[in-house]
Amino acid sequence: MARVQLENVSKHYDDVTAVNDMNLDIRHGEFICLVGPSGCGKSTTMEMVAGLTKPSEGTVRIGERDVTNLPPKDRGISMVFQNIALFPHMDVYENISFGLRLRDYEKEEIDRRVDDAAEVVELGGMLDRMPDEMSGGQRQRVAIARAIVRDPDVFLMDEPLANLDAKLRVHMRTQLQRLHRELDTTIIYVTHNQAEAMTMSDRIAVLDTGELQQIAPPLVCYNEPANLFVATFIGSPSMNTIPGSVTDTGFSSAYGDVHVEFDPTAVGVTPGQEVTLGVRPEDVYSSDLRDEVAHSTQAVSTRSDVLEPMGDEIFVYLVTEDVDLGGSMEEGSDPGEILMSVGPDSDITEGQDVDVVLDRSKLHLFDENGDAIAHGLVETPGAGAAGEAEAEGDD
Amino acid sequence: MSDGSTRSDGGVQSDRHEPELTRGPFQRWVQKSIKDPKRVYRAMFYVATLFFLVTTLFPFYFLLVLAVTPDTGSLAVLPQLSTLEFGVFLDVFDRINFLRYMLNSVVLALSTTAIVLFLASLAGYVFGRLEFPGRQPLMLLILAISYFPPAAFFVPLYQLFTGNVVNGLSLYNTPGAMILPFSSLFMPLSIFILTTFYGQIPDGLEDAARVEGTTRLGALFRVIVPLSAPGVATAGVLTFIAVYNEFFFSQLMNNGQPENWAPIVGGLLSLQRAGQFEVTYGVMAAGSIIAVIPVAILVVVAQEKIVSGLTSGALKE
Repeated sequence: MARVQLENVSKHYDDVTAVNDMNLDIRHGEFICLVGPSGCGKSTTMEMVAGLTKPSEGTVRIGERDVTNLPPKDRGISMVFQNIALFPHMDVYENISFGLRLRDYEKEEIDRRVDDAAEVVELGGMLDRMPDEMSGGQRQRVAIARAIVRDPDVFLMDEPLANLDAKLRVHMRTQLQRLHRELDTTIIYVTHNQAEAMTMSDRIAVLDTGELQQIAPPLVCYNEPANLFVATFIGSPSMNTIPGSVTDTGFSSAYGDVHVEFDPTAVGVTPGQEVTLGVRPEDVYSSDLRDEVAHSTQAVSTRSDVLEPMGDEIFVYLVTEDVDLGGSMEEGSDPGEILMSVGPDSDITEGQDVDVVLDRSKLHLFDENGDAIAHGLVETPGAGAAGEAEAEGDD
Repeated sequence: MSDGSTRSDGGVQSDRHEPELTRGPFQRWVQKSIKDPKRVYRAMFYVATLFFLVTTLFPFYFLLVLAVTPDTGSLAVLPQLSTLEFGVFLDVFDRINFLRYMLNSVVLALSTTAIVLFLASLAGYVFGRLEFPGRQPLMLLILAISYFPPAAFFVPLYQLFTGNVVNGLSLYNTPGAMILPFSSLFMPLSIFILTTFYGQIPDGLEDAARVEGTTRLGALFRVIVPLSAPGVATAGVLTFIAVYNEFFFSQLMNNGQPENWAPIVGGLLSLQRAGQFEVTYGVMAAGSIIAVIPVAILVVVAQEKIVSGLTSGALKE
């Protein structure tokens, strides 16, 4: 009923390509998040679905109807804006009923629908207030009520929670999920906050530099990222990336002595190839715990550099021994640095020598273009049980 | 110096030695002002205010004196109250159909204002909210029109409106002959004001209106115009006053008869003719004062909006 399709959609501005050859197929009733850093084209993509921006190339379909050249009002959509965009000269009732009044609904029908919508977002008794008399959260709820009152086929949200404080944001997040369940509408949600994307969506579409990087359920994006960008963007703190190269017997890092043994031909790489090994902080273990890790690598000797106690866990920045970190203040993970998360009762102190092992079933290998080659490097050269173990790792 | 001021013999001081003793009040004021320059600024403020009050209000005062002094009496800046005749204000309506002239003026001004606000809103939206090549040159071109002397347009327009250019098209002695030139002459200022205002309305509000179901035009009149109320009021009031006070086309585009849409200027000239061979300053002055009243009321009512419209105009989201 309200499937949304983007076919080869591009948007070029004078000399910038905001969205490049985007293909999206969003099923009816799906809650989909467009995530990516600032300027990745996620808002432009949404504006093209809304009809506020016309694509330079490609086709936009909503519910099997080609809407590429239709104005926003004829697309059966409604939208919640980042800056809320309530009409300041209208009270709450007038704001919510704006779209209904434009469509010449009966007065009773308008009243009934406004009351229902206000009920859903818990705004009863505030219908005669002006927007400037309300708090940020209340205004946001009015904006959502205005969007749901018309019973749209597709519900677009452009960072609707970005301007709310942290506590309210978490509350509204669960409210939105509840709303999605009640409304059974397709929701396209734009955010740069990967926590919102992870918690709310059925599928995440990760965008970077105007191109779709991966579209998959949140946990697939987390466990099997399609490329380095998705791997480092999804997850907080982000994945460790260790540059290195393929040897005859596996992987060897460019800095430090991180070695992972696997059969290059089984994985599909050739010895000598430049690759990047990815491992999430929670898959790095102190070598004391190596028995608890089903498939551990050889121990890597490191020194702990900085500790970040978070309360429920501690983030430990480890330096592989032969790297001098003194001069490097660049943003992002340092090539010789590995971030490990340990339990709150760990006795690691700063400047201590720590031997760590990596969980082989949670390793990711990316080629020189950043595309994923393999997730889980469980098999060892010549080991018979490798296939079985890998299947387990992929699970 | 101080020893000089304490001399007890009362001898005459020479300026060269003892300036203090010769100081009058003005010199003492200067002395204090040098220490405290704010006194000078305050004094300059009063002088300037007084100057503007006298120059603007005196003609008005003298118009009143002129009106109420009988034609037989002699003019004086401070006339004697006992000799004044206030019946002259009624004479204005007795001698000619002055109300019709005023109505003509108000109708002309209101229709021009309506046309100007509507068209300038469209232009203001385009100039204030859309990006297109040649926007700035086009805006400058429109503004340049307002710098032209109206007299430059008169002869061609007169020829056109009297039917000498296009056969059968004769607007002379109709409201169109005045509303058309008024609209085009006063449009640029309104476009400029509205462009500034419409440009400040956040894009999100227009987008929201369009998603909710309006066209671009609908968003303009349902959201952008209401939110720019001070700017629209300013443009409207300025246009109204400008048309109401206009002399050139008002006098030349009709034959001065009330039924031919002659505005107030025609009425005042008829009052002069109504005196046949004498110059009837009294009724003319009275008519002028009556004519000022609608504008005075409008300014008082809209003053707050005009001031806020001319100075700020910012609207926060």
